[in-house]
Amino acid sequence: MHYLILGNCAAGLNGIEGIRSIDKKGEITLISAEPYPAYARCLITNFLIGTHSEEDLYLREKDFYQKNGVKVLQGKKAVKIFPQEKKVEIDDGKKIPYDALLIATGASPKTLRVKGEEKEGVFGFRTLEDARQIAKRAEKAEKALVFGGGLIGLKAGYALKKKGLAVEVIVKSPRILSRVVEENSSRLIARWLQEKGIKIRTGLAPREILGDKEMKGVILDNGEEVKAQIAIVGKGVSPNLSFAEESGINIHWGIVVDNYLRTNFQEIFAAGDVAETKDLVTGEHTINALWLAAQEQGRTAGINMAGGEKVYPGSIGANAAEFFGLPFISMGCVQARNGEIIKEKKAEKKFVYRRLVFKDGRLTGAVLVGEVEAAGIYMALIRKKDRVENLADELLEGWVDYGKFEKILEGKKGFRETITPDGRLIKLP
Amino acid sequence: MKRIFVDEERCLGCRSCEIACAIKHSSSHKLEKAIQEQPLPISRIRVRKDEENAIPLQCRHCPEPCCVYACIAGGIRKDEKTGLVVFEEKKCVRCYSCVMVCPFAAIKLGEEEQPAVKCDLCQEEEIPPCVRACPTGALFFGQAEEFQELMEKRKKRGKKNALLNIG
Repeated sequence: MHYLILGNCAAGLNGIEGIRSIDKKGEITLISAEPYPAYARCLITNFLIGTHSEEDLYLREKDFYQKNGVKVLQGKKAVKIFPQEKKVEIDDGKKIPYDALLIATGASPKTLRVKGEEKEGVFGFRTLEDARQIAKRAEKAEKALVFGGGLIGLKAGYALKKKGLAVEVIVKSPRILSRVVEENSSRLIARWLQEKGIKIRTGLAPREILGDKEMKGVILDNGEEVKAQIAIVGKGVSPNLSFAEESGINIHWGIVVDNYLRTNFQEIFAAGDVAETKDLVTGEHTINALWLAAQEQGRTAGINMAGGEKVYPGSIGANAAEFFGLPFISMGCVQARNGEIIKEKKAEKKFVYRRLVFKDGRLTGAVLVGEVEAAGIYMALIRKKDRVENLADELLEGWVDYGKFEKILEGKKGFRETITPDGRLIKLP
Repeated sequence: MKRIFVDEERCLGCRSCEIACAIKHSSSHKLEKAIQEQPLPISRIRVRKDEENAIPLQCRHCPEPCCVYACIAGGIRKDEKTGLVVFEEKKCVRCYSCVMVCPFAAIKLGEEEQPAVKCDLCQEEEIPPCVRACPTGALFFGQAEEFQELMEKRKKRGKKNALLNIG
């Protein structure tokens, strides 16, 4: 048996472990575009701030690949898949055969599509190399602009602020984090960030990047000129799947997979930011390009590649972050779209906000700002899809009384049971 | 593996377990000094209490832990040998991803810069201090089957711990 894995981040790494949880012997080859062992991509923020070194970001021990019998082809990329031949062509011209293939190639930052974007100083914020280049440039820069109000852009802006730069976030939509949280939380977090010195400007977008070889500023779409030496492009990501485009593999937003993370080809699987899965809450097919989803999907795909039969219940849009000591967590469906009932609790002066979203008696979404410690209970309820309408008010208070929570968990006395990531109730061994 | 189990009918909500845990995880290991430490030591066990009921909650060391997949720093693992869910505290970047998924809300974050913490089952102790500190025997440390037996024994005996009847 020869397993081929394309991609060496959360999904690929968990793919290896998934395979090895069943098949200790099969050959595994992994193709990695980046020249490092798998690293914690989300922690490039900390690398940029300077609290973490490259080694601090490595996700596994040095001998992980060797111990797991994985042959790593570093600095290589897949260019074409031949599903009929069961081969993948890589950029050095070689064709690698496989018995089972995992596509875990992730995603890349979307570009701005404005004049001057190629100038030095304009960065995406995705890789260790991005962070390294930004850090280098930040040494002699005074001001950075962040285009886009998503989590990635804000994290980059946060890191640069911590490094002492002036930071201005430029968002086209009327608010930041518009795809992560709803209006109230968004407003609260924006106020917090502004109090901490990050400037946020909405309804604006860049028209042109100014400068010669290096960027010196930007012209906004209102005609205004802003001086800056760094620009971070945080306009979201798109899946890396060009190599699969003519292969006959089903592609919609991403590579379409079923509940086993399998594509329309029996022996080809996909996981992580490149994979389009069912959304646990909406039931719709979507890409939830998130670390949690990538790890769970990678693991599940690996198990199924090795002959297991693990069902992936669907991904859930869920984010957690902390900026300048203010934590916030959002999960599931956060807006009232179609008959959802919203319960909310505010203490805005204290930067505390809590919102629960119910649909047909079930919890389908939650947003917590400031006080977030009970978040996991909400996540468990969303994943288990239990009817909890009679608990709505108590849930909103932040905690469910344990007795009721136990009923929700259907646990016997003494908490002898727990729930799994896919929402199953199991006995503690 | 040995775990902490709870006979919640015996829990008075006295919070002795919380104090014992915080002292155990302080730097001085002494109550009188621990309460003056900065930052204050954090109890890994948390007593939830309302008018009628109380229960101590802590990490269940789940067979399939949700937190392992959530951690963006690769700082949480399930130790296959011991069964423990292990937090590598120095890897924590306070992203709250583990908090986002723990069904028991068993993970706590302290003051700024402090890593996320949870029950580590006090490996170097024969019996975790929280269990030792419980005055009513509501906390039990051992195998699931042992706890099961104990619960059946207690059920047969029919009456609650004498302490519960005070007052």
